[in-house]
Amino acid sequence: MSPMKLCVPGDKLCSTEDCIPGTGIYLRHGCIYSSLTGYVLKKNEGEELPVISVVRETETQLLPDVGAIVTCKVTSINPRFAKVHILYVGSTPLKDRFRGTIRKEDVRATEKDKVETYKSFRPGDIVLAKVISLGDVQSNYLLTTAENELGVVVAHSEAGAQMVPISWCEMQCPQTHSKEFRKVARVQPEFLQA
Amino acid sequence: MATVQVSEAEKVYILHGIRDDLRVDGRGCEDYRHMEIETDVVSNTDGSAKVTLGDTAVLVGVKADIGKPRPKVPNEGYVEFFVDCSANATPEFEGRGGEELGTELSNTLYKVFNNKHSVDLKSLCISAGEHCWVLYVDVLLLQCDGNLYDAISVAIKAALFNTKIPRVHISADEEGGKEIELSDDPYDCVRLNVENVPCIVTLCKVGHRHVVDATLQEKACSVASLIISVTHKGTITCTRKVGGGSLDPESIFEMTEAGKRVGKALHAPLMKLLQQEESLGKARQKVGFLG
Amino acid sequence: MPDCFPHAVTFPFLCTTMPTDTKRVRGPEVSQSPTLFLCKHVAVLPSHGRRADGRQRDQVDVRPVFVRCGLVSQAKGSAYIEAGNTKLMCCVYGPREMERKDETDMKCGKLTTDMRFAPFSCLERGSWIQGSQDKDLSLMLHESLQPAVCLHKYPRSQIEVNVMVLENSGSVLAHAVTCASLALADAGIEMYDLVLGCSIRQNGASYVVDPSYMEENSCSSVSSENQGGLTVAFLPSLNQISGLQSDGEMNEETLTAGVRTCIEGCYKLYPVIQQALTKAVRRAAPPPSES
Repeated sequence: MSPMKLCVPGDKLCSTEDCIPGTGIYLRHGCIYSSLTGYVLKKNEGEELPVISVVRETETQLLPDVGAIVTCKVTSINPRFAKVHILYVGSTPLKDRFRGTIRKEDVRATEKDKVETYKSFRPGDIVLAKVISLGDVQSNYLLTTAENELGVVVAHSEAGAQMVPISWCEMQCPQTHSKEFRKVARVQPEFLQA
Repeated sequence: MATVQVSEAEKVYILHGIRDDLRVDGRGCEDYRHMEIETDVVSNTDGSAKVTLGDTAVLVGVKADIGKPRPKVPNEGYVEFFVDCSANATPEFEGRGGEELGTELSNTLYKVFNNKHSVDLKSLCISAGEHCWVLYVDVLLLQCDGNLYDAISVAIKAALFNTKIPRVHISADEEGGKEIELSDDPYDCVRLNVENVPCIVTLCKVGHRHVVDATLQEKACSVASLIISVTHKGTITCTRKVGGGSLDPESIFEMTEAGKRVGKALHAPLMKLLQQEESLGKARQKVGFLG
Repeated sequence: MPDCFPHAVTFPFLCTTMPTDTKRVRGPEVSQSPTLFLCKHVAVLPSHGRRADGRQRDQVDVRPVFVRCGLVSQAKGSAYIEAGNTKLMCCVYGPREMERKDETDMKCGKLTTDMRFAPFSCLERGSWIQGSQDKDLSLMLHESLQPAVCLHKYPRSQIEVNVMVLENSGSVLAHAVTCASLALADAGIEMYDLVLGCSIRQNGASYVVDPSYMEENSCSSVSSENQGGLTVAFLPSLNQISGLQSDGEMNEETLTAGVRTCIEGCYKLYPVIQQALTKAVRRAAPPPSES
């Protein structure tokens, strides 16, 4: 097997007739050019043409995009929304801090009017959420936890111990056995190992 | 800088018009808008000029001060430029908003005048290594309607033409010290030779063509422009690409050629006009700022 | 320091009890570099024959460059470039959240550039505070880089480019452009093309490519026609000029020829830069499996 081809931004890779454009590339005048420094990767995904992309050792800088699942940490709460810091996009850690907001209406899918942010999140909780909008000039990224799989995954009790989920809306402290309210996520089993 | 919002439809209209050498206000691609020049508008300056180009209005005042020559060039005076983008021109300039544009403009002006011929700096020397004239050229933007560079350069040329530096005499006293004496006669003054002062031509790349003296709408359709400062002989003293886009080398060469042609043609009528105004003397009707 | 003020008011006697040394002869308020006191201020370099560092005149003879990516661990991407004695480094941070909320653009990201000279980088000591020359260079750097970066891929975020000049031995802007584009590519910022910089110094009929500090600041004793500097930033794969700046006096033909020479100089740099980048990628990780 020949060593994989390396390319730099601006390198012409092939014509659009030969490959399907993937990531790390851009199109110009019917040709595919590289927009990154990295390895040229051609993958056959069952289509007629292979998908061409340019990949790097570290994932290229991902920005939270609409629809992306993000892992965030709650920094503050008030009756209308919770403020969070986005830590991961998918499984890629972010180097820089991005702020997001989970509004009260976006905490859960049903009985939205009865949501109380204090009974859903507490500062310091680790929350799985989905990006619904990039927000506007004034606001941050808007996030939602209105799915069974989204919500609090890690939380600590007042005693400082990591709590165990006991229902979709409650968690219990293993030391004091006191119960606290949270919007708990039903974590998919395949992610539990990590 | 002051910008306008232009819709896609407007952009297409402007682009197609320019492709056929027809601009929205009826000009050709290498035509300037109506320009008005008035010199000697501020009495407290040594030279001043006001230029309006379309709705762009620029006021330039030149003040001559006595300073110490720069150690590197002891037998020359120097010229300082300062561009003030006042909040009068557009509210965006309020506070520190205009600072960035102001530095950009004044830095470009330094480059434009960074050669031996634009202004005869040796004539600004009073006594080598000790005293020289420092010309402070202060530019004030009164209104912004595109093409600031060209308007500013014409205004500077007019203001320098109008500048009257008082004559000074150096007398040595008994101990060998030198004393500067300013002439009592206000009409006893030195004029600057402005023949070689360049004019700036800004060429905006719109579509596949370029236009001279772009309005704000046309500027919004263009990604990059080229600034060229040209002397009356056609010598280029400064070029600079501005804006967020890039240009093809071939189009840069075309634009340089056009800029040189347009800039060269600008000088003769400008000098004629300035001399005409000067010859009117006191009979000249002053228009002032509201004209 | 605002909190000093009330002290001075409440305890005015403090000032009077401060010991002052009236006997000591104080130096001048502003110190000057000893180089200013040289007999010959501006070196006159010969305008024919070999250049001081042995390179050819009138040929695209750039200094050999040493480039390296990824030397600052904290930065997203970084690069170091060395050409002769010109040494500079660049760091790229981001994309990160916009610092100033009101400037957030929902459609595309913002590129910020900052270029600074270390105080000891030039012959004369500079100040830590960014002067207007640094600001101008930052702006030129910004205009040269922006056309190459796919900013639409980074909505509501900013990408910071910081260039520090460690040693100035001429052609600083050109090398800063090259170095910054390397650092951007190293950071994994999506770009349409690399940006390469090259500059020339015209001296009468002859020119020198990639001038050194001495060559940049020398003035020839021969004809004063066609004297000036030119810097071009070029996108080699797209064949586009993203930055252009010239000063001095040049006629159109010289300028056009100069731009072509600079483009040629950029192509000479291209393989070196490509190699440095691919080397950095290979060092960082082995090729991914092809499945």
